[in-house]
Amino acid sequence: MPNQKFPPRYSAVAQGFHWIIAALIVTQFTLGWMADDLPAGLHKLAMLARHKSFGMTVLMLAVLRLLWRLVNRPPELPGGMSKVERLLAKATHILFYVLLFAMPLTGWMMSSAKNYSVSWFGLFTWPNLIGKNEQAFDLLRATHRSMSWLLFALATLHILAALKHHFWNKDDVLTRMLPFTKSEKRT
Amino acid sequence: MNKTIVAAAGALFISAAAVAADTAASYTADPQQSRLEFTGVQAGAEFKGVFHKFTASVEFAPDALAASHIDVQIDMNSVDSMDKDRDTTIRGKDIFDVAHMPTAHYVTKTITKTAAGFNAIGSLTLHGVTKDVPIDFQFNPGAGGAKLSGSAKLNRLDFGVGQGDWKSTEWVGDAVKISFSLVLKPKS
Repeated sequence: MPNQKFPPRYSAVAQGFHWIIAALIVTQFTLGWMADDLPAGLHKLAMLARHKSFGMTVLMLAVLRLLWRLVNRPPELPGGMSKVERLLAKATHILFYVLLFAMPLTGWMMSSAKNYSVSWFGLFTWPNLIGKNEQAFDLLRATHRSMSWLLFALATLHILAALKHHFWNKDDVLTRMLPFTKSEKRT
Repeated sequence: MNKTIVAAAGALFISAAAVAADTAASYTADPQQSRLEFTGVQAGAEFKGVFHKFTASVEFAPDALAASHIDVQIDMNSVDSMDKDRDTTIRGKDIFDVAHMPTAHYVTKTITKTAAGFNAIGSLTLHGVTKDVPIDFQFNPGAGGAKLSGSAKLNRLDFGVGQGDWKSTEWVGDAVKISFSLVLKPKS
């Protein structure tokens, strides 16, 4: 693979996907945790309705993002990274993609198992993925929760790694994903 | 002698026909086979619920509508929306308040023929509030009884179903669709 085929920076589209989905995930954690603390009632219903609409938005964006990623090469990892670092970076990114699908899908299945169909901002209703099943609901809720902690840990690792690259390694790993900046080769 | 018999038979036939013209057959709904369902909108998505316990007493004949009526008593506690958490909320004091208003009652006042079947105006007492609700239905006589099926629409807030937070229609719609299918057996 000749080196010049790698773009120097993430494209505007890739940056758009990254930051919009990142903002949605922060929103999802906020709504999910707030809903968890509420007693059953209208406010919980409203909070979870928003959580589901945003979650289905993430799922739709994840499909588009994956397609985009499969036909557009991202910039290359900076030189000087060890094999272990490269492997860790790759594994983190793959796991992010897995969770971008698994989180909304388990949420959607949870709603289906509870017989609470998922609406997208009141505009249309998604079909139920599975039938009413209380045991499946409990299992899916536990999975959705565990995966949310995994996602939280992964995001923390991701942010720390980006900061480490920027301030410690002084490379362009962070800036090439930032809009309105220029990536100068810092290494 | 022969003439008397013919006359008597004729008189009997005429009076039988006259009786048939202004009396309606009496039925009760078979609880096992009959179904009473509602569809509401929650957070933008439809959900369905049924009432497992209700009794229906029906006097009906298509050619004796003035003498026909439908009377349904519904046990509100028997509501089932296929989720026990939602059922608990629905039974609670802010929605059905089954502790104070355990039954709903529908009784028709007038029934008229329509192009598609029949239309009835009846009074529905739900959550302690009585209001007229029209229903459209079809009546199909069959072996050993009849089937009466139809639908209605109502606004839950007309009946005060939804107090406090639940008065808002932002997350739970006001309009509720009702559909029913009664399997009628002759009253013994």
